[in-house]
Amino acid sequence: MNRLPYFLTSFVVLILLQLLIFNNIQLSGYVNPYIYVMFILILPLNIPSWFLLLLSFMTGFVVDLFSGTFGVHSFATVMAGFARPWILSLNVALEASDPGSSPSSYISGRRWFFIYAITVVLVHHLSLFYVEVFSFTGFFRTLLRVMFSTVVTTFFIFIFDLLRPRK
Amino acid sequence: MRSLLNFLLRFKTLILFLVLETVALVMISSSHNYHQSVAFGAARTVSGFFARRLENSRSYLRLKQINQQLVTENLILRRQIEELRPIPRTDYTTVHDTVNGTSYSYLSATVINNSVNKQKNFITLDRGSNHGVATGMGVASAEGITGVVVGVSRNFSVAMSLLNTDFRLSARIASNDYFGSLAWDGKNFRYAQLSEIPHHVAVNQGDTIVSSGYSAIFPEGIVIGTLTGDMKKGGDFVTLKVQLSADFKKLTDVYIIGNLNRAERDTVEAEVIDE
Repeated sequence: MNRLPYFLTSFVVLILLQLLIFNNIQLSGYVNPYIYVMFILILPLNIPSWFLLLLSFMTGFVVDLFSGTFGVHSFATVMAGFARPWILSLNVALEASDPGSSPSSYISGRRWFFIYAITVVLVHHLSLFYVEVFSFTGFFRTLLRVMFSTVVTTFFIFIFDLLRPRK
Repeated sequence: MRSLLNFLLRFKTLILFLVLETVALVMISSSHNYHQSVAFGAARTVSGFFARRLENSRSYLRLKQINQQLVTENLILRRQIEELRPIPRTDYTTVHDTVNGTSYSYLSATVINNSVNKQKNFITLDRGSNHGVATGMGVASAEGITGVVVGVSRNFSVAMSLLNTDFRLSARIASNDYFGSLAWDGKNFRYAQLSEIPHHVAVNQGDTIVSSGYSAIFPEGIVIGTLTGDMKKGGDFVTLKVQLSADFKKLTDVYIIGNLNRAERDTVEAEVIDE
């Protein structure tokens, strides 16, 4: 089954949404949703981990290129891509499903997808915001930014997951 | 050899992870050069194209406010013209003045991309090298100083916002001429911090902070903000909290300020410092 066009479209749509809409959402400096992480979330279950890492890096690199933050997003997406297989392995509900399928609430249930998404997003946002500040001064302020943004990002990813075409 | 290969194969994911994270960290540590790089120049042309279209549609919503600002600015300029108008004299002479002539050039520009929510914010402007913009030029709105140009492509330029934790500017208190270093602490986009002011200096809430003219980027006396009265003591100096007069969330029309004598000034300063 050739699913390349599907993932290519997802990639382009998510990056465009991020750059044109979500980068412009500026609520008090505490909420900066980075919904493009969803691309790393929805890659097929059986993707080799090295390939996942390369794709994660590429995703971060493209976002970096267009938002003028050189390397910050790349660092965070590689971290998320590295954590994803471990987060998936903690889960049992998946064993029954088709190994080539893409993780979604449709296949594995909303509660599962929510926990999966919020964990990967948290890993991504933690590394992103701390690397962006590049110091632990204002530790709790950055932590608050991570928390608020994680919740909002996960909320949007959850909605997009319900809206996306099921395959 | 075989065991080394086995080792590499076994830990290939971990090794790849470490390699990619190292690449990312190297990129981050070289990011101060990034805004001049070719890769970003190409990306800026693409993102500038989209940003300009977005800004075109957004600017209609702010027309009334922009008009208001322009009227206010016109008023100030008219007053200045009145002050400068010479008393009529009959004995005109021509003076070829090369020192006190125009030393700063002004170019209007529109902000097409801007943020206030990051630690390192940048402003994209719709003017580039085609219009004479070069790195190191100052950016100010009618209300106050907003940034410094750090990268230029043919039709766009990127300025480091005052709201960037790397931004430093020499600023002085207008009422008593003491100067210090102005920086942003990354917290609230309405306030910046003026440090290195000696203890004994008497300051009042509402005192105006202006550019000092020591940096060759901005002419002397451009408004930055006003003191809120909050101060933090540490060592021999105090740090004062400054309410910025430019509202970075509503930034639309700005001026790019170029110092025509900058090359000369930099050369003479470099000569002295080298010795």
